[in-house]
Amino acid sequence: MGVIKKLPVYTETIPGGALVVTNLEAVLNFGRAKSLWYLLFGTACCAIELMCTGASRYDFDRLGMIFRASPRQADLIIAAGTITKKMAPRLRKLYDQMSEPRYVIAMGGCTIKGGPFYYDSYSVEKGIDHIVPVDIYIPGCPPRPESLMEGCLHLQEIIRKQKLSDWQEK
Amino acid sequence: MTQQELTAYILANYDGKLTLLDTGRAEPMFELKPDDLLEVTRRLRDDPQLKFDFLCNMGGVDTGQRLEVVYSIASTTKHLRMDFKVVLGYENPSIETITEIWPAANWYEREMYELYGIEVKNHPDMRPLLLPEDWNQGFPMRKNWDAPDFIRMPEL
Amino acid sequence: MPELRTEEYQINMGPHHPSTHGVCRLLLTMDGEKVVDAVPYVGYLHRSIEKICENRTYAMCIPILDRFEYVTAMSCNYVFSLAAEKLGQVEVPERAEYLRVIMLELNRIASHLIFFGTTAMDLGALTPFLYGLRERELIMDLFEMTCGQRLTYNYIRVGGVSRDIPPEFVPKCREAIKIIASKLPDYEGILNENPIWLARMKGIGHTDPQQAIAWGVSGPVLRASGVKYDLRRDDPYSIYPKFDFDVAVCWNGDNYDRYLVRIEEIRQSLKIVSQALDGLPDGDIRAKVKAKFKPPAGEVYVRIENSRGEMGVYLVSDGSEKPLRVKTRGGSYNQLQFLPEIVRGRGYLIADIVAIFATFDVIMPEVDR
Repeated sequence: MGVIKKLPVYTETIPGGALVVTNLEAVLNFGRAKSLWYLLFGTACCAIELMCTGASRYDFDRLGMIFRASPRQADLIIAAGTITKKMAPRLRKLYDQMSEPRYVIAMGGCTIKGGPFYYDSYSVEKGIDHIVPVDIYIPGCPPRPESLMEGCLHLQEIIRKQKLSDWQEK
Repeated sequence: MTQQELTAYILANYDGKLTLLDTGRAEPMFELKPDDLLEVTRRLRDDPQLKFDFLCNMGGVDTGQRLEVVYSIASTTKHLRMDFKVVLGYENPSIETITEIWPAANWYEREMYELYGIEVKNHPDMRPLLLPEDWNQGFPMRKNWDAPDFIRMPEL
Repeated sequence: MPELRTEEYQINMGPHHPSTHGVCRLLLTMDGEKVVDAVPYVGYLHRSIEKICENRTYAMCIPILDRFEYVTAMSCNYVFSLAAEKLGQVEVPERAEYLRVIMLELNRIASHLIFFGTTAMDLGALTPFLYGLRERELIMDLFEMTCGQRLTYNYIRVGGVSRDIPPEFVPKCREAIKIIASKLPDYEGILNENPIWLARMKGIGHTDPQQAIAWGVSGPVLRASGVKYDLRRDDPYSIYPKFDFDVAVCWNGDNYDRYLVRIEEIRQSLKIVSQALDGLPDGDIRAKVKAKFKPPAGEVYVRIENSRGEMGVYLVSDGSEKPLRVKTRGGSYNQLQFLPEIVRGRGYLIADIVAIFATFDVIMPEVDR
């Protein structure tokens, strides 16, 4: 079984089958990382590259990632595209509606620091990290699908290293 | 009628309400007074030789000394196109709406009001279009507009 | 029997909704299941592109205007270069004109393939989405070979194009045309006679041609209502008079006709690209233009036929190296204004509104800029 090879386990054969001992964190993190469902939050140009990453050539489904339309069913927001001052409260509302554990990827230059709209723009929110806490930043304008997939793989590494106590109520 | 004959036709038949501006361009640019706007545009639309039924573009311009409103119209049947403008000053600029002549002007006039401050009289639905609902920092597209978080690009 | 008391209520659709048309909010007034009125609220992607362009030189404006309508970024570059060339009276060499036409038409095909994919996805069919984007990857490979970018090209500059095509472009382009032309019967085979597609598209969203012209609607939406108005024929620019192609027109003005018009336009664009590849001359690819381009003072309005309608730029220059005013006009702006007129009082359901919005092919940055 491929899954057993990827987790830290202790196996022992007993009559009728096997005994597998592992720790809950490893199993839960493995399950979460390999099946991230992302919320389609595409506002601008990076949304087209997000669509292309989910399509035939650069398939997102092989990483276990499917788009969902509702924030209640998603655990990742890929914020793809410029966020304006009018749209910022809506992004926060969507983030608040997701249930924990939840992650945010900031895709594209506009979400990092305003991108090409940093100078001379009166209506662009220059970066989203003062609206929602961001886990991964992916630079590019727009980033290639390969960059986006690398960002998601990094996120999977981060999730595999998380502890159960991170998400417990204090 | 071709584009060249259009200029002569307009100057001959519109009693001097549309004056030709000398800008040295291939396509003519006419100027109109704000009070004649509705009457002349209605004639341009209904004239059987011209039939300008398509409003291509309408926008405000801030040249630094004055405000202007520029209209571009076209005819889908006669293959003609023309532009004209209305010149306004900075104090209380206001203009009549032309939504009863070309309904396409609806959103163009709303946008022009909230970005330049040019008031549009008798508009059916004057609500803000593009800016956030709680915007209270003035008219952003004017040349002398500034705000604390507005960062200008430095000269290279 | 007591009288039933009914009242109208409002449902909010957007600004974040699962179809990838961007961020548009529709406030629907409902009477039971039927939609009484649909009012669009826009501005969620207003990035003040026009204010930015006033503080950039002409060469710097081109990548900013790429983002004005990113699905057909070549057209945005082209219309601004056309305006600047008209003001500065720059003569563009012939090889550059041919390259420009090839890129514009390839971009039109790519945009219509996205329309095909996302419209089917909005109505619930996921297979056409994967088909359309698979063919679009062939075109993106061609663009990447030429200018290095997949989406926002910065390729068509003032005076010509920025770099020449590599030698492997022409054979790969011919192969891509052959592949796309052979897949079009597949696309029509999935959708054209499909009973679900016909039930959701035929007879819904009828547009009246005179009303559409009065509201400034152009492009495939106007041609599907029976008005044969295509700027490549009626107000020609560049070298389009040299090519032999038909203008696709339908007569009913409903959703199904808007879909058919765009599929036919893909075929006609393939024809234009192969004619342009056959006639590609040698020569310069860019006229001699200074790096700090300074056209004489004046103003001009130019317009081209984009895949969404008429795209125009009104450019005012005061003789310096930065434009005084750049006003951009996109086809989706007028189409979104027109949406309440065809929805009011017809008794459509919410699913019909989704289908109408999808076939209008509205892209929000064109509306909000």
